[in-house]
Amino acid sequence: MSSPLTGPPAGARAPAGGAPLSVRDVTHTYGRGATAVPALGPVSLEVPAGEFLVLVGPSGCGKSTLLRLIAGFEGPTGGQVRVGGEVPRPGRQAGVVFQQARLLPWRTVGGNVELALRLAGVPREQRAARVAELLDRVGLAGTAQRRTWEISGGQQQRVAIARALAGSTPLLLLDEPFAALDALTRERLQEDLRRVSAEAGTTSVFVTHSVDEAVFLATRVVVLTRSPGTVALDVPVDLPRSGLSPDELRGLPGYAALRAEIGAAVRSVAS
Amino acid sequence: MSALLSAPASETATVEPATVAARRRRGSGRWHRVGVRVLATAALLGLWQLLYSLRIWSPVLLPSPRAVWDALIRTSTTHDGTVGYQGHLLIEHLGISLQRIALGSVLGIAAGLAVGLLMGTLPWVRVVVEPWVTFVRALPPLAYFSLLIIWFGIDESPKVWLLAIAAMPPVAVATAAAVVGAPTALVEAARAMGARGWQVTTTVVLPAALPEIATGIRLAVGIAYSSLVAAETVNGMPGIGGMIRDAQTYLQSDVVILGLFAIGLSGLAIDGVLRAIERRLVPWRGRG
Repeated sequence: MSSPLTGPPAGARAPAGGAPLSVRDVTHTYGRGATAVPALGPVSLEVPAGEFLVLVGPSGCGKSTLLRLIAGFEGPTGGQVRVGGEVPRPGRQAGVVFQQARLLPWRTVGGNVELALRLAGVPREQRAARVAELLDRVGLAGTAQRRTWEISGGQQQRVAIARALAGSTPLLLLDEPFAALDALTRERLQEDLRRVSAEAGTTSVFVTHSVDEAVFLATRVVVLTRSPGTVALDVPVDLPRSGLSPDELRGLPGYAALRAEIGAAVRSVAS
Repeated sequence: MSALLSAPASETATVEPATVAARRRRGSGRWHRVGVRVLATAALLGLWQLLYSLRIWSPVLLPSPRAVWDALIRTSTTHDGTVGYQGHLLIEHLGISLQRIALGSVLGIAAGLAVGLLMGTLPWVRVVVEPWVTFVRALPPLAYFSLLIIWFGIDESPKVWLLAIAAMPPVAVATAAAVVGAPTALVEAARAMGARGWQVTTTVVLPAALPEIATGIRLAVGIAYSSLVAAETVNGMPGIGGMIRDAQTYLQSDVVILGLFAIGLSGLAIDGVLRAIERRLVPWRGRG
């Protein structure tokens, strides 16, 4: 059986060809006329396959708006967003993890993942095995029968990640997924997510306001200015993706330098 | 396949001990509640007996608990060749009424679900239908019963129609409100998984509406219950409401009170059953 992250299993909806993500001169405005509030842009970004892009910026800078445009929940007011060369539509090209797990409480843990597989078009007879496999990959083997309110917040977010992976989409979007978790749980999930993305090479866009989280996870960090957000800083993160423990990674001189550079940029746009 | 994400031990800490403790607390609380209720009922019966013994009112106005008990025995047995009350045992009166309530409630609930779903999903239906639902809800059942009699005669159908009309509005209102208020966060999560159109309705909107619909159904059955006597105003025998009205004309206050007890107690029992079903069907209520 092929891995949902590395191979194209049943139900995969990856469109052929085209850069995974292209954002060109995108602006977005909420409301109309006199009450219109410009929220974003203009922003242009090209995201090649396998990149782990982290968007950092002050509250209300439009980073979540940009993620919603990429997910296809809304169309941009100006410019164009393309995922794999196509206009994004919800549930087609990207799996989404929100700040809250947003699990359906009337379904069990396994039932939530099963629904994602069903909506992704995975045939019924394959779903049970895929549910077990996905839960195993997020470290929740054997919890399929649990109720969603019986597991911890960190575990709920792991289920949300399993659900986002279920569609085998070419893109993974994460909107401050660890912001509501306690520090210890957050660190563990960061480490695990870093390992997943390093091993599998999924193209990801991750939104956060934490500079450390950005440097730790990213292969590239983009800092947005205050609303309406534009690109203030765009730096590659050239740190080893594997072979180092989190502490060793954080101890590298390059890590500290990047933290300082990105931190300074965030402070300057926030003031 | 290796675990790409591994859950550390502390994160897997279960919630079992807390749940067990809560269950034990709930258990002892239940016995405490039952005890209080039994005591309160006994006190009320004592007060009733006391008022009767003081002879403030004539026994026709306030029969003794004993007289009501005798009425229960009399209406539940065949004595001197007379079967129960006016040819039917109490249990038959009650059973026929319960059948009417069941049929009327089922029809009313089904109609309420359909109307509420349409109101919740199509804004123009809501605009058009909402004032009419409120209008019907404001009408006393006895008021439209006259019209139902003219339309459907005096047999079973006007009674069932009355109960159905009375039961429909609370379900429609609750369903519409729940569908309109479907949690946007969950709707968006479903869309992010690729659900669209009716898939969103069936996977998120309807299940999310279930707790409110369940409350609406309990209200509806309660309203059907309280409309029972109205429904059995005309040609209501056999039927517990008809029995009460008939006993009233003969000033048999003991039978009237017995009928009230029969309706009230069976109502309590049915609400208990509905609540148990609700707990099974909506275990996530309040735990989002």
